[in-house]
Amino acid sequence: MSAYILRRLWQMLPTLMGVVLLVFLLFNWVGGDPAYILAGKMSNPEQIANIRAQLGVDQPYWVQLWIFVKQIVTFDFGASWSTGEAVSHVLATRLGPSLTVLVPLTILETLIAIGLALGVAYVRGSLTDRMVMIACTVGMSVSILVYIIVFQYWLAYKLGLFPVQGWGDNFAENLFHYSALPILIGLVVSIAPDLRLFRTFFLDEINQDYVRTARAKGLSEPTILWVHVLRNAAIPVVTHVMSNLPALLIGAFLIERFFSIPGIGREIILAVERSDFPVIKAITVYVAAATMLFNLLTDLLYKAIDPRVQLE
Amino acid sequence: MNRPGRWLRRLPALCAALLALAAGPGQEARAADPDKVLHAVFVAPEAGFDPAITRDLYSAEVIQSIFETLYTYDYLARPVKLVPQTAEAMPEITDGGRTYTIRLKKGIYFQPDPAFGGKRRELTMADYVYSYQRLFDPRLASPHSWLFAGKVLGFDEAAAKAKQTGHFDYDAPIPGFELLDRYTLRIHLKQPDFNLGMILAHEPTSAVAREVVEKYRDAMGQVTANPVGTGAYRLGEWVRGSRIELVANPGYRGLTWNFQAGSDPEDAAIVAAMKGKRMPQIGRIDIRVMVEDQTRWLAFVGKQVDLVELQGPLAPKALENGKLRPELAAQGVQLSRIIDPEISYNYWNMQDPVVGGLTKEKIALRRAIAMAYDVQEEIAIVWNGEAVPLEYPIPPGIVGYDPDYRSSVHFDPRLANELLDKFGYRKGADGFRTLPDGQPLTITYSARADSNGKQQAEIWKKAYDSLGIRMKDNLMPFPDLLKAEKQCEVMSRNSPWIADYPDGDNFMQLFYGPNTHQNNNGCSRIPAYDVRYEASQKLPDGPERNRLYHEMARILEVYAPIRIGYARYRNMLAQPTVIGFKKHPILHCEWLYFDMVKEKK
Repeated sequence: MSAYILRRLWQMLPTLMGVVLLVFLLFNWVGGDPAYILAGKMSNPEQIANIRAQLGVDQPYWVQLWIFVKQIVTFDFGASWSTGEAVSHVLATRLGPSLTVLVPLTILETLIAIGLALGVAYVRGSLTDRMVMIACTVGMSVSILVYIIVFQYWLAYKLGLFPVQGWGDNFAENLFHYSALPILIGLVVSIAPDLRLFRTFFLDEINQDYVRTARAKGLSEPTILWVHVLRNAAIPVVTHVMSNLPALLIGAFLIERFFSIPGIGREIILAVERSDFPVIKAITVYVAAATMLFNLLTDLLYKAIDPRVQLE
Repeated sequence: MNRPGRWLRRLPALCAALLALAAGPGQEARAADPDKVLHAVFVAPEAGFDPAITRDLYSAEVIQSIFETLYTYDYLARPVKLVPQTAEAMPEITDGGRTYTIRLKKGIYFQPDPAFGGKRRELTMADYVYSYQRLFDPRLASPHSWLFAGKVLGFDEAAAKAKQTGHFDYDAPIPGFELLDRYTLRIHLKQPDFNLGMILAHEPTSAVAREVVEKYRDAMGQVTANPVGTGAYRLGEWVRGSRIELVANPGYRGLTWNFQAGSDPEDAAIVAAMKGKRMPQIGRIDIRVMVEDQTRWLAFVGKQVDLVELQGPLAPKALENGKLRPELAAQGVQLSRIIDPEISYNYWNMQDPVVGGLTKEKIALRRAIAMAYDVQEEIAIVWNGEAVPLEYPIPPGIVGYDPDYRSSVHFDPRLANELLDKFGYRKGADGFRTLPDGQPLTITYSARADSNGKQQAEIWKKAYDSLGIRMKDNLMPFPDLLKAEKQCEVMSRNSPWIADYPDGDNFMQLFYGPNTHQNNNGCSRIPAYDVRYEASQKLPDGPERNRLYHEMARILEVYAPIRIGYARYRNMLAQPTVIGFKKHPILHCEWLYFDMVKEKK
């Protein structure tokens, strides 16, 4: 197992280097020159040249790339070009609000989708199954923007069930008061596709011989579904859930913008608008690394779920 | 709420308040009521609070609340009127506008800070000189160095030396900044300049203390997170990009509200409500960042926010023909509506081989296009009617504006087509015109890659189509657009400009030849214009300068390097609980000058 993990970690290096190179090239080709924004309204070529020198973007590309690599190795991405705030502080302070919304959302979304998918898989072909599938298709066809605008207007403003927006300095208040509506919207948007996907996983299992055997042995239907079927369908479910986890690091920028949540998603959009390369590259590298680590973790979970899986 | 946490965070504020009280006589009694809490909103996140490097409006609002400039603007006077802030009086201008002598009020103190080692720190003129020097520090790369560039004796030389060494020598004397004593500064200019007072009212020239900068500066010399000023407010809690709390500075000297009503009929009510009050009245300002229009609107109508600006699509929600909708008026909501001190104009690149140049046929081409463009249509479609067409390059409310001036350029597509026919821009079989020499005629219109930019491009396409001229749109990310513009690579664009200081010079310099690659975006060099601009710079506001401005405006119409467009309205809504609010065209925030009803506990 240790050898497998070490080998996989070692294999991540070339992938990460590819990401670094791609981010660097993309930013330098299409990322815009931040000096023109930072120089202000009344700038002249001399001032712009000075700002470029301060930022280091006047250096040859290979020097800039080397600095980027050193920043990754030392975990020090310097400071934001537009605000002067240390990038480490940006990540440390913006990640919390994003996770406050997205972690409960992911847990609830997964549990609810699994429960509903097992239910509709059990009654496959019935009116209930068809109605749920139609509802899912309709739900998936509506943009998240519409959900946000409608829910914010009706549930928060008109009915007063939730705050229209806001973020406090207390975790419980943020989780139960300010995050409630964003989580609800997230659930409405994400449950439908998950439910449809998980239903197909469960349908693949529900007609297997072992299910018939379990019924013949007299096991209750809930036991058959929640123990046997779920366990056998767990590998694709885990794959799907784990592949979504790195997205937690980039937040949900629309939800954060509308509900004034000071999260990482909003920060990324701002950084792109401002051509704030230190913030963009730090987040990109961390997300790439997280994706690879979660992939590794997924493979390890396969082994835990099904001991027959060989990690080679 | 985490009460103990909040109390701990407010401990320094309590200590500061006790320190200020302990300072005894000489300190003004605190007027601000902690139960008066203004809930304000920013449309975009702030960047930081260092006056020397601030680039965004929202940071500037906070900076203007914490720091003080020598001069500021009268709250009610329109056109705006410069008045002393920390200066004792208006500057003594001698030597034909070359020498300014300014005296500082005594007994103004910075808010207490560990940087001062527990001592009260009085504001002196040396702090202002230090703050001005910071604008030229190459490490800071301040976007505001233009405020003093080419003006003060010896200052540019000090900046050039700093550029060579990479280090600004703050201790080396600059001949142009002569400190007569702790409270008196004499500024020696290279040439006459009658706008320096306004420059000294611009928030990048606010006084910062050297000790504070040296204690808190980062690797680039910036102090974005520890603003320590002499102003009416100090920074309380700050969650970057989310929440900014400003708390009344207990050591602030205060002022008595004594502004005179102007011609605006609403002024009398403001004067009646506010006259004689000690300011500031509002004890705490709670600012939240709300990026989305719907969020701000719902927060305002839900009474979570006391003051909101109607940006983007919000104006039609609250206004009908420029007036507050009856349902909002019935609730007591107040509207403060001003024309922004800005112009939007379309320029054509005067260095471009197709549209540029001063030959007759090129002038005819630009004039024809200018006449084919319907400014009213852009105002109606792009700005929801929330703008006024302009006749003059200087907008209303700015010194030098002439309400009686009438431009010779008007929307007249028929005449525009006749002009093109006369100068040999013939239409081909495809219905599109060619250049007089038969070469193809295609004009590229550039704009920001956003919805407004797209709409503007569509309206311009309509104008070009009416003339039979091919137009290509080129929607670009803002940094790329700025870069291309500074390098004179944009053929045509609609460009906005908002006043840095309320004088016509700030607008007329936009078309001055030597400002090419800076902010003369059309890269025009019209000798007749440039010579008049140079003459106008040596004159104070008055008939002689206005005559030059008239001539310059006519030159812009004749040579048509630009087409003057419009100035947008700024609409601010205030809840009924806000007392005496009026939007000022130049001041970023007015929190010091209005009052509000106490928040119910």
